[in-house]
Amino acid sequence: MIGFLGKLSINAAFLCSILAAVGYFLYSRKDNNQYFKVSNWLFGFQGLFLAVASGFLMYIILTHQFNFYYVYNYTSSDLQLKYLISAFWGGQEGSFMLWILVSTLLGFGLMKWTRKPFRGPVLFFLTLTQVFLLSMVVGLPIGDFTIGASPFRTLAEAMPNAPFLQSNPDFVPQDGKGLNDLLKSPWMMIHPPILFVGFAMMTIPYCFAMAALWKRKYNEWVGPALPWTLGANVALLTAIFLGGYWAYVTLSFGGYWAWDPVENASFVPWLLGTAGIHTMIIQRKSSTSQKASLLFAILAYVAIVYETFLTRSGVLSDSSVHSFVDLGLYNQLVLFMAVVTLVGLGLFFYRYKELPSQQKESKFLSREFMTFAGAMILFLIGLVIILGTSSPIIGRLFVDNPTPPEVSFYNEWTMPLAMIAAIFTVLGQYLFWKRQDAESLTNDLLWPVAIACVLTLASIILGNVRNIYYMFYLLTAWFTVVGNSVIMLRLIRKNPMLIGGVLSHIGFGVLLLGILASSAYNKNLLDQSMKNYNAAIERGEVTDEQGFLKTQKVNFLELKLNQPKIVDDKYKVTYKGYTLRNQERPGQQQYIIQFEPADGSGQQFTLKPKVYPMLSSSSMGNIQWSVSPDVRTGWLSDIYLYVSGSAYVERRNEQAKEQAKQRNQPVSSTQKDSLRKQKITLGKGQTVAVGSYDLTFNSYGEIQNKKLQDSTMVAVRANLEISPRGSDSSAPLSPIFSVYSKDGENWTYAPPVKIPGEKEASIQFSRVDPTDGDIELTIRGIDEKVEEEWVLLVAEEKPFISVVWLGTFLLMAGFSVSIFRHWGRERKKSA
Amino acid sequence: MKPKLIIGIVAIVGFTSLLMYNFGNSISTYVNFEQASGMEGAHVVGTLDKSKDYGFSMKNKQLSFYMKDEDGNVRRVIYPKTKPNNFEEADKLVVIGKMENGVFYANEMLMKCPSKYNNNDGSQFQKASKSS
Repeated sequence: MIGFLGKLSINAAFLCSILAAVGYFLYSRKDNNQYFKVSNWLFGFQGLFLAVASGFLMYIILTHQFNFYYVYNYTSSDLQLKYLISAFWGGQEGSFMLWILVSTLLGFGLMKWTRKPFRGPVLFFLTLTQVFLLSMVVGLPIGDFTIGASPFRTLAEAMPNAPFLQSNPDFVPQDGKGLNDLLKSPWMMIHPPILFVGFAMMTIPYCFAMAALWKRKYNEWVGPALPWTLGANVALLTAIFLGGYWAYVTLSFGGYWAWDPVENASFVPWLLGTAGIHTMIIQRKSSTSQKASLLFAILAYVAIVYETFLTRSGVLSDSSVHSFVDLGLYNQLVLFMAVVTLVGLGLFFYRYKELPSQQKESKFLSREFMTFAGAMILFLIGLVIILGTSSPIIGRLFVDNPTPPEVSFYNEWTMPLAMIAAIFTVLGQYLFWKRQDAESLTNDLLWPVAIACVLTLASIILGNVRNIYYMFYLLTAWFTVVGNSVIMLRLIRKNPMLIGGVLSHIGFGVLLLGILASSAYNKNLLDQSMKNYNAAIERGEVTDEQGFLKTQKVNFLELKLNQPKIVDDKYKVTYKGYTLRNQERPGQQQYIIQFEPADGSGQQFTLKPKVYPMLSSSSMGNIQWSVSPDVRTGWLSDIYLYVSGSAYVERRNEQAKEQAKQRNQPVSSTQKDSLRKQKITLGKGQTVAVGSYDLTFNSYGEIQNKKLQDSTMVAVRANLEISPRGSDSSAPLSPIFSVYSKDGENWTYAPPVKIPGEKEASIQFSRVDPTDGDIELTIRGIDEKVEEEWVLLVAEEKPFISVVWLGTFLLMAGFSVSIFRHWGRERKKSA
Repeated sequence: MKPKLIIGIVAIVGFTSLLMYNFGNSISTYVNFEQASGMEGAHVVGTLDKSKDYGFSMKNKQLSFYMKDEDGNVRRVIYPKTKPNNFEEADKLVVIGKMENGVFYANEMLMKCPSKYNNNDGSQFQKASKSS
């Protein structure tokens, strides 16, 4: 029933959006307010139906209705409430719905704030994009073909070939597959919604550009479009930052950026949007760059749709770690992309002849030229990234079955372009606020250049920079920071609201500094013996077990329990054991790695990386582990480490394999006898190591008589404590030993007690030595060999990551200041 | 034509061709072990040969295994990290690295994981370095 209502609501929303689009189209043509009112109502109903459908979707998620494919596929009954809520956008269908919901809210804002003549066309194009987005989730069958994938389809509809459904079509699974463990993170709660706010907002400049072309008002549209574009920019930047931070601190991706297609998918629209912001500012100031502004506004949204296509059509499933699953939306996405691009560029070129063109060439040293050039560089960077991301498609020009480009492709192209952009920001800002000629500009720039040189030299010396290319890069970055700071100081005295631009540019310079430091000077923390080993590998002196030459260096840090190692002559690192905790995730281990300064002076600190079993993909015989790194953030450098392997994980894997093997074999009678057996003697208060356990004999204990035979002569209990070595968890064991007489003979009664967590192992209190009170224990099923407790870490020192974040925050702050300024001015205009 | 226009066109053509040339060089096609020799960053697709010994060696801190490429060549592969998740379960492996003296030294490894039900999730490659 609820599935039917859900589908009905989405279909109703789809219908309303089509009707609203038609209504807005007529309103734009005929300028009759009646059309506007009716369309607004239809748009509102569309939003209402969609909200109802979202409510249903949330409801079936929260009530665990696993007969729905979406609920089965992305949730499970043990999921915490916050992750159940975020499962709403954890899948492809729900994330489309979230995108439309945000877009609808923005639509209400546009209704209220947009003036004629843009009002009708802007809302028409916004509604048109919603028609397409709704078509992705509508699930409307037409013949053999289904438009969109409904979040309300049942398991049977989604997987007609699944074996368990063929035998019983009404089968409802007990539990769902669960949310991917990597997504069980607080960042999952906020990162995707902000991203979709950015996607939805980036639609608006497109709508305004289309409205401008339609109504032939090529100048006035920039005023209202600019704050929306800035808003989209801040939302996307925030989402990118959150995604990067998430990847860095909890996903063990090893860094904040990896040029993954999904990362690029949000970065390229940001770049093009930012290019658009630059040309719009120029257009507003001096009525030039109209063509570029229109084009960038169109392309920024086209980029969003194109990257949506790439990540959601399955095209990238081979090359990206987190692309979505193909839901059969390929054709629809192609159509969406084609319409947005063709209508956008089509209208642009249709009107091209009458678009205002510049009367006279702007000089090289003019704010118009500099800003325009800056926008072009951002555009080129965007093009390079689009090209790289499109390798599965465009790569076919060169080879069959192309692989993704090497990461160096992105770095080699974006770095020089970013350097040129950096210089242009300073020149642009100096020209923006004052008319200058070459001579006055040189005079103005004298001091900033000098200071930048000094700072660059200092960085080169302090950072031991040897690469000439990096030196020049540093110079451009420092020049950006210093040059823009000088302008900012001047502007603050004039009017603090004007600093948006320079503040963003300072952020850009700071970001450049941080990126170089954190990526080029990232190093693995290794102890001396490992360094010597790596040196031997480099000399070609190491061969492995099979006699093959070892050529790859080792980047592990291996630590034995409580045996410190000195790494990089800087830290004394000790593995202090692990805690077994079940609160956050069942079966999670938290390792305690202590860092002390090697010379003994200064602060010590502890890092606690985690390892946990992936519930959604583990099986009885094979546990899949996932890691969560721990990061020590500092102003100068971060220490980042994760556990790559440990004795505990190794044991658990072996146990799982053993158990899987036993399940498949009939239990043979000889198996019990084949258990390893050992006897140990232990005095009161002593601890011994048994296999991978530590066993402590605490005290003797009382026995209640009921359990024993009537004729018992001697009965003692040993209070033992057993704990996996290195862990904080321990379990009490109290085996008993008793002697009783029966038929004139003495018998002993000493039942073995099971060791918790082990399937076969047991401890038996087999003898007591009356002379010294020592006890003898017979232990079965545990390896005699005392196992060492070790952990294998990947530890890295990443310098100046904090500077990357700082740069990002400055960028966000700068753009936000600009939003307030431009929005405030627009408000005054309409008042 | 105005000289500025000519310069502009030359710059655009130059930039684009350089970019495309570099792009063409930085991507490659999936190859087999035979073709991989002498290549930097060769991508080889294949399956794990479970009949031969494989595993992570604590002594050498490397994972070694034998992989059969799509043309049936079996070669030893060395990967300098711990054994990734779902290594044994993977339908296909993609190793990225270089061939030297008949041994493939992988710097990166991707795993294509089987889908549970034939009509369910399309399979996905997972980057090995991103899971322990």
